[in-house]
Amino acid sequence: MIAGALFYCQYHSWLNRLAARVRRLRQPKYLAGAVVGGLYVYFYLFHGFRPGHAGVAPPSKLALPPEMHDLPQTLAALVLMILLLLAWILPHSRAALAFSEAEIAFLFPAPISRRSLIHFKLLKSQTAILFSALIITLIRRAWGGGPFLTRALGFWVGMSVFNLHLLGSSFALTMLMDRGISTWKRRGIILGAAAAAAGWLFLWTRHSLPPFPGLPDPGGFAVLLGYIGRVLDSGPLPFLLTPFRMVVAPYFAADWRQFLIALGPALAIILLHYAWVMRSNVAFEEASVELSRKLAERMAAARAGNWQAARRPKKAARQPFELRPAGHPAMAVLWKNLISAGQYVTGRIWFMLLWVVAVAGGILHSASSHGGVGGGVGVGVMFLVVMLLAMSLFSGPQMLRNDLRQDLRVADVLKMFPMRGWQIVLGEVLTPAAILAGAQWLLILCGAMLCPGQLYHHAITPQARLSAALALAVLLPFIDLIALLIPNAAVLFFPAWFQLGKDVPRGFETMGQQLILMFGQLLALLLGLAPAGIAFTLVFMAGSLVHWPLAGLVLGAFAAAAILAVEAGLGIHLLGGVFERFDVSGEVL
Amino acid sequence: MDIAPPPIAQAAAAPPQIEVAGLTKLYGDFTAVNDLSFTVRAGEVIGLVGPNGAGKTTTLRCLAGIIPPTRGHVRIGGFDLARQPIEAKRRLAFFSDEPRLFEYLTVSQHLTFVARIYGVADYRDIGRRLLEELEIADKADKLPGELSRGMKQKLAIACGLLHSPQVIFFDEPLTGLDPIGIRRMKDSILKRARNGAAILISSHLLHLLEEVCSHVLILKDGRKVIDGSLEDVRTRFSQQAGGGNLEDAFFRATGETKGEA
Repeated sequence: MIAGALFYCQYHSWLNRLAARVRRLRQPKYLAGAVVGGLYVYFYLFHGFRPGHAGVAPPSKLALPPEMHDLPQTLAALVLMILLLLAWILPHSRAALAFSEAEIAFLFPAPISRRSLIHFKLLKSQTAILFSALIITLIRRAWGGGPFLTRALGFWVGMSVFNLHLLGSSFALTMLMDRGISTWKRRGIILGAAAAAAGWLFLWTRHSLPPFPGLPDPGGFAVLLGYIGRVLDSGPLPFLLTPFRMVVAPYFAADWRQFLIALGPALAIILLHYAWVMRSNVAFEEASVELSRKLAERMAAARAGNWQAARRPKKAARQPFELRPAGHPAMAVLWKNLISAGQYVTGRIWFMLLWVVAVAGGILHSASSHGGVGGGVGVGVMFLVVMLLAMSLFSGPQMLRNDLRQDLRVADVLKMFPMRGWQIVLGEVLTPAAILAGAQWLLILCGAMLCPGQLYHHAITPQARLSAALALAVLLPFIDLIALLIPNAAVLFFPAWFQLGKDVPRGFETMGQQLILMFGQLLALLLGLAPAGIAFTLVFMAGSLVHWPLAGLVLGAFAAAAILAVEAGLGIHLLGGVFERFDVSGEVL
Repeated sequence: MDIAPPPIAQAAAAPPQIEVAGLTKLYGDFTAVNDLSFTVRAGEVIGLVGPNGAGKTTTLRCLAGIIPPTRGHVRIGGFDLARQPIEAKRRLAFFSDEPRLFEYLTVSQHLTFVARIYGVADYRDIGRRLLEELEIADKADKLPGELSRGMKQKLAIACGLLHSPQVIFFDEPLTGLDPIGIRRMKDSILKRARNGAAILISSHLLHLLEEVCSHVLILKDGRKVIDGSLEDVRTRFSQQAGGGNLEDAFFRATGETKGEA
């Protein structure tokens, strides 16, 4: 009876969602999105199914020699083993099942047993896993290779085991906690055991196999793969990997016969996991309530396009500067948003940034040293600076969203402030613009200071270095401003497309809308930059004609910056007017 | 402690702070507010009541400048909200039933931010007094996520009152407050009315309105059913059917019966 009610809830929720999505296709914005999204999906995923391509998978570019035929399966088993091991090491909180807030409100107080709740959760996750398996197999097929249905089912088997194991291990860890075994003690024991196993494996490899071939040259990748294959296929590892190979075997089956043979052991492992989960008697309700609340908050924020706010700030960030009570009100918005951005500049972020810079610098330095361009570290840094500057221009405005994309959800609060619309828009876009400009100036400074005196056998004079740095320093902030105004304009002009509310549509329609918006923004950016580009080119050419190319470079940058500044000013005033007329009741709330 | 409503006679001579003429708000074919007109003078506390969907929140949001009315005019402190929005908004505060805060700003940072927006020079002293009055002074460095719902409501109130508004709109002001908070809120509303603020309160809690309001305006289906002083509305409906409180007046004015409700 309970199972029937839970199935009814799931089935009708799905049916109603589908009906709502079909109904909303009457709105042009969803219809356009559905057409574009559908075409994209068709060409991306199903292109290979068209007549002439049916059933024929393009050959894999990474074809392995016959003696390494089993290597992918063994590697997949190894990855699964590591993932499952992590499931015993990483978690630090009690077992919690992710229910929606509505499910918590209706199901937890209802006369439903814990077993039924777990069944409900498993049933729900199975639907999601099956759907994911189909999509991922389709995507993989678009890249090329494999019988579709057995791959999809094999992927489903692997994901099911993984899902069940996560659940079972979380229950087991909770039981350990209840028996007084702390998280660090448990991690110590498991890591110790893993390290002992790895050490034993290392010693065995050293004594039983020929020495490691060393880092292969670019053409010797197969040697390395062969060695890895030998390690994985001989000695103790094959025994250790056997259950994991059984789980992934259906996925790697070449045909239906192999698949059916492999399916038996895999299903047995699923059943064992199921019995393990169902026999665990662990109280998960309290932790589930908390998890569901956090998930709901994250989803609401993420669906609103604000991935940064998907993580609730844990501690207060320092104010970037002292905000006095008198002065331009736009500075208050800038101050507020800088605090918001500061929440996410944590020690971990700095560590990751340093790590990326160090690794990228090392690779580039190595590449430049071997490439014969000369200049050593300086060249590596130069490449890194250019790469990061390009990234900041293309990805920066999309990543830094501490502007109207974040604040339109509180548009009702902003609209109450005694501020003109343009002041609010200015304050909003200044934040990401200031952060981007600051980062870019730092990069330019590094580049200018560490730039080698010679690059590709061309001398780089200090004047050239200074002129290029000055031109970039003047120009980039205004390009940032234009690049930031465009998504902010899109939010104000097409708020319904930006997913601001809590009840957010998903599917082909939304994907299509995002594609239309992306191309629209790209086009607007190109149009916005075109006049400045023309001005820069003309001034630079004029300077070159009179043999003052460096002066032309700097003056051209100033001319282009002036044009972009005028465009930005006009844009801010235009968007301010739109914001003042913006009806939050009709669009956001 | 009995709470005395603001003196009506004194308020009657005061200048109008809220003037609404022909306010209409349409959502497509649906009329949320229909040709609404009324005036609130300094020192008056007007209760906005009506069944669910009567248009109370839409009216308040139009008056606070959050959503533009489809037709009609709103003047706040003598300034036209559409033509002189900055001057009008400097004089008003709106408190929604759900506190709207910035998750990443602490309590004191909220006050600093609002002070710059409204240009409140001595905000530190005012802010400290408000936080003490609302009993959240010890939470100055906390983020909203670390506060209870009632405390968040108090922070929103502190932010709204920082610039000493002459016109105050409340949408269900007692939601989430504990009994002490409710008492303090009532006292605060009356104190501000006595100091000359014009206050409009939307609430379903009719006993609250009877305690603090000098006037009442009943809406139904976006239309004004009746408005006037509390005594006047009570008297008119008691003459018709013998009832003597706002609850009876509400049911008769809206054509509902207690049994149906």
